[in-house]
Amino acid sequence: MAFLLAPASVRAEVSEPAPRPDEQFDFMNLITHHGLHDIKDETWNAYGQFTYITSFHPQFSAAYTNLGNPPGVGNSLVPNSEQSWTGTFTLFLGARLWPGAQAFYVPEIIAEHAFSNLHGLGGAIQNFELQKQGSSEPLFYRSRAYIQQTIDFGGARVVQDSNPMQLGTAVDARRVVLRAGNFSVIDFFDKNTFSGDLRQQFFNMAFLTYAAYDFVADARGYSVGGMAEVYYDDWAFRIGRFAPPQVPNGLALTLELGKFYGDQIEIEHDHRIFGRAGAVRVLAFHNREKMGRFRDAIAAFQADPTMNNAANCGSSRVNYGSQNANAPDLCFVRWPNDKVGIGVNIEQRITDDIGVFFRGMYADGQTEVYAFTSTDRSISLGASAHGSAWRRPSDVAGIGAGLGWISQAHADYLRMGGIDGFIGDGTIRQAMESVVDAFYSVNVANAVWLSVDYQHITNPAFNADRGPVDVFGARVHAEF
Amino acid sequence: MRSFSVEGFPAASRPSRVALAFTAALAVTIARSSSAGAQQQAQGFAVERFYPSAPGGGWFVMDTLDMHGQVGGAVALTLGYAYKPLVITDGVQHFGVVTDEAFADLAVALTYERFRVYANFSHPMVISGTGGSIGAYTYKAPSVDAGRNPDLITDVRIGYDARLIGVHDSPFRLGMGAQLLIPNGDRSDYDTDGAFRAMVRVLFAGDVGMFTYAGQLGWHIRSLDDSPTPGSPQGSELLFGAAAGPRFPVTCSGSTALVVGPEVYGETAFQSFFGATTTGLEALLSGRLEGTASNGSQLRIKLGGGGGISAHFGAPEWRFVAGIEVFDHQGP
Repeated sequence: MAFLLAPASVRAEVSEPAPRPDEQFDFMNLITHHGLHDIKDETWNAYGQFTYITSFHPQFSAAYTNLGNPPGVGNSLVPNSEQSWTGTFTLFLGARLWPGAQAFYVPEIIAEHAFSNLHGLGGAIQNFELQKQGSSEPLFYRSRAYIQQTIDFGGARVVQDSNPMQLGTAVDARRVVLRAGNFSVIDFFDKNTFSGDLRQQFFNMAFLTYAAYDFVADARGYSVGGMAEVYYDDWAFRIGRFAPPQVPNGLALTLELGKFYGDQIEIEHDHRIFGRAGAVRVLAFHNREKMGRFRDAIAAFQADPTMNNAANCGSSRVNYGSQNANAPDLCFVRWPNDKVGIGVNIEQRITDDIGVFFRGMYADGQTEVYAFTSTDRSISLGASAHGSAWRRPSDVAGIGAGLGWISQAHADYLRMGGIDGFIGDGTIRQAMESVVDAFYSVNVANAVWLSVDYQHITNPAFNADRGPVDVFGARVHAEF
Repeated sequence: MRSFSVEGFPAASRPSRVALAFTAALAVTIARSSSAGAQQQAQGFAVERFYPSAPGGGWFVMDTLDMHGQVGGAVALTLGYAYKPLVITDGVQHFGVVTDEAFADLAVALTYERFRVYANFSHPMVISGTGGSIGAYTYKAPSVDAGRNPDLITDVRIGYDARLIGVHDSPFRLGMGAQLLIPNGDRSDYDTDGAFRAMVRVLFAGDVGMFTYAGQLGWHIRSLDDSPTPGSPQGSELLFGAAAGPRFPVTCSGSTALVVGPEVYGETAFQSFFGATTTGLEALLSGRLEGTASNGSQLRIKLGGGGGISAHFGAPEWRFVAGIEVFDHQGP
């Protein structure tokens, strides 16, 4: 039972809990072993986690930094050595309300310090926990509060283990699950056993979900909305609508779900190849938000460079702080626009201990990043393994690669000196941004892991004139 | 760069006119700045003094102290609205710094035998009011709404209660409780003091025939002392309160009961014990429908309305609250 969990907040994000082995310590198992709780048929459960991640990048080479802006202003990753850290503490509280109905409430504390104020990397953010409006001062907030109703309609009985955000129970293999409230889109969409629960796996955000999946979320990675899932034996179908932030990458959500929204649809098929479990998922999203198109920003600048430049946005428009009077800016062209994308997510177990994964997404790339990363097209792939072969079955090791690209319109805008929410060096020599991430997690105590990590990031912010960047990291993670 | 000129005056007279204008402007500036210097901005504080009881506690504020059995728990959701919980006045003029306050308080508790641990997470849905000045103090109106602050949690309360005397349904039960309030939020939103607080309380309750009662006396350890600022906290406070009412069975089997009765509660600063400007006293008339089985999961639905008896911060002109609790006791 128990979990391996971890809603992880990324620069807007979170990941859904994954199950963890029965033998691990946690409060629910403890009281169950004392005969005080029925973990197979729960009326409530409570779990928690703590994670501290520290990262360091040494000095790296860069032909220029924040070109066209005064020192300290702009979106470049600073080439001097930097240290970054995050600390999170989360409680996962669940209760059964009536037959089939479960309610969950997840308060969380975060404190953080990012590289370069979270600027200068596209999809290859070195620490998936980083949030957009975090600070080194600990902040308590509600990450999730939602209700779900399961309606069984036949098939085999499926045991659902007690886990964070899941009560121990049994459901039909054919069922409908309705869910509404406050949670993250990627709590339930785009799951992957080997690349998703990043508090136990890779450090880099490129492995949390598709880097090009600009799923609607507030600055912490959560949203408000509703979704439905239909499970029919080996098939699953999901559809949901969620609220976007009022302004790009902002904390406040707009609750006009008929006017502005993020829709997603996903179909999943679970399979077995040579007796090994695997799954294929196809996901498409459509966002309707008040966001700027790169071509519109360029056209506005070319029509009147004196008025429509980044230094002229004024205080009433969001322009991410650029003072470059010779650059276009998205602040002049924000009105209702659409963004779409489609992706494929595959996972396959190779042996009892080793699994491989692949994710690839193509988004249209015509509009600015609204909630996740600046990447327009992305691929991630890799493998992770438990250490049974070397008699450390609770240890986990993994290696993966994350690749990202931006659209031509996006590159043209950056080349002219424009910036978006996270990147923009003043100009660009367009290239694929990539990260290779390797980690090893040592299970030092029953439910405590100590991890080390190395990342090699090339062409940060899709710019061949900068980098590569080496990042060294360490993580302490505990579950209870 | 554009140049400025003084038009309409003979050239020879311009310097003196400019000097005159400059002198006048300087005088106005000095007068304004000295006036502004005397003005102080009120920083804000946790205006709410309605502290919902621990989940499973029965009353809205008081506590029935009826924990029993093996490991059990409770989940409670309390929704409330308060009108004018903070009105600043100097006797002549007055304005509501906080006129509308709506909140949702979600709380969870674990119980074991006579012990309980719990946590309350309060979400402000609306906090709004009117800014203004009285005397030397300027008040900025708070502005909180669910869209703008989608995930805000104000001060988190973590508590521990233990029943020391009596069993869960005895005529007299005595217990003690402690709460730690972890600061979270923004003082200017009037939802936190920005500092840790604590409460230590003596709790009592009982069931005598069809009557039930509960009360508390405690010490609210509050470091914030904004004594000179009208309507603000003045350090640590005495907590007090009591509730009582009859319990009517509403089903033939007696499995569901209705409890109706008043709850009166308040706080007063030790610094000015029961002083007119340091005491907030409020009364609620509440009713609740609840399951009466001593074993298994039960539901409780609560409604209440009332208002401030002694107007000080946190005691609103009127208040409406509603709550729902699911509580679970396993074993005797």
